[in-house]
Amino acid sequence: MDTRRVVLIAAALLVLLSGRFAAQRPAAGQGGAAGSARAAATDDYTGYWVSEVTEKWRFRMLVPDKNDYTMVPLNPEGRRVAATWDPSKDQATGEACRGYGAAALLQVPGRLHVTWQDDNTLRIDTDSGTQTRLFHFGGAAPAAEKPSWQGYSAAEWGGDEPRDRRDGQGGPVQDKEGRLIVDRAQQKPADYLKVVTTRLRPGYLQKNGVPYSGNALVEDYFETFSDPYTKNTWLVVTTMVTDPQYLIEPLLMHAHFKKLPDASGWDPTPCTANEPR
Amino acid sequence: MGSDAMHSKRTALILLLLALASRPASAQVDLTGEWSPRVYNDHMDIGDYTGIPINEPGRLRAEAWHPEQLDLPENLCRPHPIDIGLRVSVSQLRITTERDDETRQPVGLRLHVAWQEPEQVIYMDGRPHPSANAAHKWSGFSTGHWERNALVYTTTHLKEAYLTRTGVPKSPMATVTSRVHRYGNVLTIVFIINDPLYLTAPYIRESSWIFDPNQIIPPFPCEISPDGTIVPAGKVPSFLPGKNDVLTEFATEYGIPLEAALGGEETLYPEYIKKMKTMKVAPRTSTEHYRRAQ
Repeated sequence: MDTRRVVLIAAALLVLLSGRFAAQRPAAGQGGAAGSARAAATDDYTGYWVSEVTEKWRFRMLVPDKNDYTMVPLNPEGRRVAATWDPSKDQATGEACRGYGAAALLQVPGRLHVTWQDDNTLRIDTDSGTQTRLFHFGGAAPAAEKPSWQGYSAAEWGGDEPRDRRDGQGGPVQDKEGRLIVDRAQQKPADYLKVVTTRLRPGYLQKNGVPYSGNALVEDYFETFSDPYTKNTWLVVTTMVTDPQYLIEPLLMHAHFKKLPDASGWDPTPCTANEPR
Repeated sequence: MGSDAMHSKRTALILLLLALASRPASAQVDLTGEWSPRVYNDHMDIGDYTGIPINEPGRLRAEAWHPEQLDLPENLCRPHPIDIGLRVSVSQLRITTERDDETRQPVGLRLHVAWQEPEQVIYMDGRPHPSANAAHKWSGFSTGHWERNALVYTTTHLKEAYLTRTGVPKSPMATVTSRVHRYGNVLTIVFIINDPLYLTAPYIRESSWIFDPNQIIPPFPCEISPDGTIVPAGKVPSFLPGKNDVLTEFATEYGIPLEAALGGEETLYPEYIKKMKTMKVAPRTSTEHYRRAQ
């Protein structure tokens, strides 16, 4: 084979294989100033989404009974507080939004509207409870941030980490001190949204008064993809709530949402203490 | 050899190396290790089909199911298919690299689950799925690929089984697409179950595990009791159509309209909350509430 032909074959291979790899990336295409979180987004989370409740249905589509905290790792103090739940009192005292705080908001059946508030702030509005979560890229909570239902959410594009090579291909890539060596070739691409929320007002993990405290740490991991059967676009969130005051271990929850073409069905409701949404 | 030829050869070599390097990596993320489950244990009651986009034939099959079916000798040690095996207690999970017997090169991943010890090999070496006429197995046949850092695998050739532990059926026509994503020390699997026989839409559900390198998965010995020791010999536990006398207990126990408890695609969406307010609910009473814990 002459050299020119080898060059041509190699170039063709490069184009084909690069194309295959690129085809796996979703088109984010959200604009934004260079260097901003919006410009760096690898996935497009914006648009309207609707909850699809396939699990924990009776805990989400209904208000569960008092003291029904099956599947929540409550400690004795958490159980004691759950037993004091009084929705009438919550409604009367301006605490009706306790079931719509950041730890549980995405569990409440409803619709989401996701937009970029600015180049470094992703915004989620919910019709259930008419709440707004703001995901701030590039910073921790300001010291003076007051506790609120949605707290302060620090966001980053997750997954952009050193690639782990412990797959039988030669062991981890480490330096002399055992630290993973990082360079561009060994970096995985970011492919999910990580949000860490603090500065919360005490709220409920379920509408029936199962508590989380103001010291709770809420981690959300968002992923979006198209399913191979219907070609619908889905948003899946895995939420981990760490709250030693009321939980014996972190609570893991999931919710998924189907993308909608428009705002049809958007049904804003106020916070209500004794309704599922 | 002239300098032009040398230059061309060097260019060719660089391009070839680049081409090889641009292939999807064999492992984007290390998923191997021991994973400790964080389980919901949903759908443990007879008559609880909530949140499942079940169709009428699926509902008829589910209503005919009797919990004593699990006590028949032939069913006592019957494994769950992996997609439900990963969701029932205690679904401790071990993921290891699967290697070719002869070359010892990685060909995919192997999942091992504690309860009933189902195993699943996810081939990632490009091999095709077998013919539609090939044998169906409890773990089916799975092939996977990486979509950036998510492992996506499709399972076909599954035996007929259940979606829940209380008899909601899954046909042998069903296929399952699973997405495995590692978020630090949290592993989440999204299951997308497509069953043209018993579902009107794909059924999506999720599970998560926490990385636990010290986890020890014990053996799961299972012994079959002789015929007639649990269920009288010759009895075929089932309910004839319309004769399931425990079907309504879940709905009655929790104050749910019976129609809602029996599932269906419409019941999955927020609008259904309003509709339920117009539906008849049986007076709430404490019932036998036939619960199947295992």
